[in-house]
Amino acid sequence: MSGVPELLVLRLLCNREMYGYEIVKAVRLVTGEAIGLGEGVIYPVLHWLEESGAVKAKRKAVNGRERVYYLVTTKGKKRLRHLSDEWQRVSGGVNSALGDPGGVTGNA
Amino acid sequence: MPESRFEALKLELLEGGVAPVYIARTLLELAEHYTDLEQDALAAGLSREEAARAAIEALGSERQIAAAVLARPGLREWSVRYPRVAHCVRSATTIGLIPGMPVMFCIEHRPELARWAAAVMAAATFIGAILTWLDWMIFVPA
Repeated sequence: MSGVPELLVLRLLCNREMYGYEIVKAVRLVTGEAIGLGEGVIYPVLHWLEESGAVKAKRKAVNGRERVYYLVTTKGKKRLRHLSDEWQRVSGGVNSALGDPGGVTGNA
Repeated sequence: MPESRFEALKLELLEGGVAPVYIARTLLELAEHYTDLEQDALAAGLSREEAARAAIEALGSERQIAAAVLARPGLREWSVRYPRVAHCVRSATTIGLIPGMPVMFCIEHRPELARWAAAVMAAATFIGAILTWLDWMIFVPA
């Protein structure tokens, strides 16, 4: 699961800027609630992405509330491409192994 | 979210060497997130107590959040990430400050030092003038 939260967050932020709670709801929606993490752990992921220059944060006052919105940077888009390729490669390999176990076990 | 829970998380992050800017941001965003969760739960028809419980549960345990923050070395203070560099910088600063402190003191207290120098100069001029007027006959002749 390493890199999955980063991948999902970057993918979602490519569409529009969002704040933490919106991101969590969007992750739940797009993954069909397949990924169940404590919602609070999204913030270290976002802060680390900001620290590494993949996203930018800006504070906005909305209806008397202070929201921190995140938007993806050019560096973040590059990182997303890299993570997506990596994920496709890994998931393709796992799917292949699950779909054709005979390739390994059948010859054994 | 109860204040005490925030305080405990804050202390754990401070002890872990997390940069204060990220601690403040984490606490602010968690508080906002908690409010959103609670409001959604209330809108869904839960009682205030049930909504608070559901919000805390959804947010995750304090230990889980702290562990997630501490697992990212990039969020820690640079002196915690690079202790040897920090040690060298601190030592160099201390060595530089020892001889620099009197100079800094003088710069900081320029007006007082200028007044003191002017007073000394005025006194020296006055005494010099008296001595010259007396033709250095400062002792009563025997």
